[in-house]
Amino acid sequence: MSVKLIDDVIEIKNLNYKTYIENISFNIKRGDYIAIIGPNGGGKSTLIRLILGLITPTSGEVKLFSSDRTSFKNNSKIGYVPQGVTKNDSSFPITVYEVIKLGFAHKSSLFSSIGKEDREYIGFIMDKVGITDLKNRLISQLSGGQRQRVMIARALISKPDILILDEPNTGVDTNSQKIFYDFLKELNQKDNITILFATHDLEVIVDDVTSVLCINRSLLSYKNKNEVLQCSTMSDLYGIDAHVVHHRH
Amino acid sequence: MEILHYDFMIRAFISGIFIAILASSLGMFVVVRRYSMLSDTLAHISLLGVAFGFLFSISTTWSALFTAVIISWFIEYLRRNYDIYSDSLLAIFLTGSLSLAIIIISLSHSFNASLFNYLFGSIIAVNNKDIYIISSFGILSLILIANFYQKLLFVAFDEDVAFTTGVNTSSLNYMLVSLVAITIGLSIKIVGALLIGALMIIPVISAIQYGKSFFKTAMLAILFSIGSVILGLIVSFYISIPSGATIVIMALLIFMFSLFAKKSRFL
Repeated sequence: MSVKLIDDVIEIKNLNYKTYIENISFNIKRGDYIAIIGPNGGGKSTLIRLILGLITPTSGEVKLFSSDRTSFKNNSKIGYVPQGVTKNDSSFPITVYEVIKLGFAHKSSLFSSIGKEDREYIGFIMDKVGITDLKNRLISQLSGGQRQRVMIARALISKPDILILDEPNTGVDTNSQKIFYDFLKELNQKDNITILFATHDLEVIVDDVTSVLCINRSLLSYKNKNEVLQCSTMSDLYGIDAHVVHHRH
Repeated sequence: MEILHYDFMIRAFISGIFIAILASSLGMFVVVRRYSMLSDTLAHISLLGVAFGFLFSISTTWSALFTAVIISWFIEYLRRNYDIYSDSLLAIFLTGSLSLAIIIISLSHSFNASLFNYLFGSIIAVNNKDIYIISSFGILSLILIANFYQKLLFVAFDEDVAFTTGVNTSSLNYMLVSLVAITIGLSIKIVGALLIGALMIIPVISAIQYGKSFFKTAMLAILFSIGSVILGLIVSFYISIPSGATIVIMALLIFMFSLFAKKSRFL
């Protein structure tokens, strides 16, 4: 028996949300690596929250893996790393292992705890993300970059088809950002995980991104990176005269 | 031990230990969500329930419990559906319920002394019926906490992410506030409306000072809570001082020690 893979991971049609999102339509296909860019307050996080079902659109359609958002139940297909994961909460007593184990919370109860296979998978993911030595550390004792890796490990536990990250690099040093983008590239190219991340920082649009979604309430452009990084597009996006200087890190 | 020769003290120990376990287990989720004021607010709402009980000549235990649960659902509904700061919302209900309780008291004239017991708790007021109610609700609540432990922790850590993984965050939030309301409704007769919030929060804050995992912190909080109840009851018995207040002072002493030990790098 052959299994037909659904090509469109996300389909957005005529999406509106109050005054924050105006008539946005686009599709994201399996294996894409997409950056959402736009100014602060331009609707990037709102768009992500609409995709995830955290808020309900005023009008329009959100489809995930060809199912309407409201009837979509296969939550394990989506991994989400929210904004502000690198902020330090000094009082929450939770270890790295406990955070990653939360990825199995949906199937955990008094009568069905996680099994040997799940525990081994937690070990595998911690190893893959490079945080095995942090296993018993409190999350509050970690640096921004380390916290970021823990949150990605938690998101990967459900073996998602798409990883959605909202401003993942806030509070992370430049060196950790480089490691982070190398890791995302590996997830995209080796594990074929579709990646969608939002950022207001143009510097982080790395070479590996396949397309860039430019939004400032409405969709300004959805093209490949080189077409988007033109002076005219940047001027439309940020509302000022823009001069784009390309350089390789 | 002389103290165990008295039936009312045995009842006090049994009910006190049940409440200590319940209050600190639920307190863990309340404190890490920065929702500590919930316990104080629900304690004052329970007091309103007690006033209703006196006014309509019905069981004050059930009226306190019923009022606390219903209003806790209303608070949760407002928190989820309206843009009101959680702490402001709790302050509104705390002062509102207390005001209404005072009006009911002043209109009725006859039960000031009885109400005093509910403000500060009265360990000798615990009877066998109270023990049955506290233990049965207590066991049921602990089973629910154990069953939903991972999900409650996920919601406390990051509610949005928990929702996106398929956790029913709305039901869990209603369940948590209901359990807190039931625990407080059952406890005010023993520890008192003004003091139950402390028993729910202080042992948890003390345990957090030791920098352990969430599970180990919860176990420590339960241990500190039970210790406070046992020490508080013994001290209050031998030097004839109010039990509820003594239990809270014991919890505070443990907190001071934990804080000092952390500051002095003993831990």
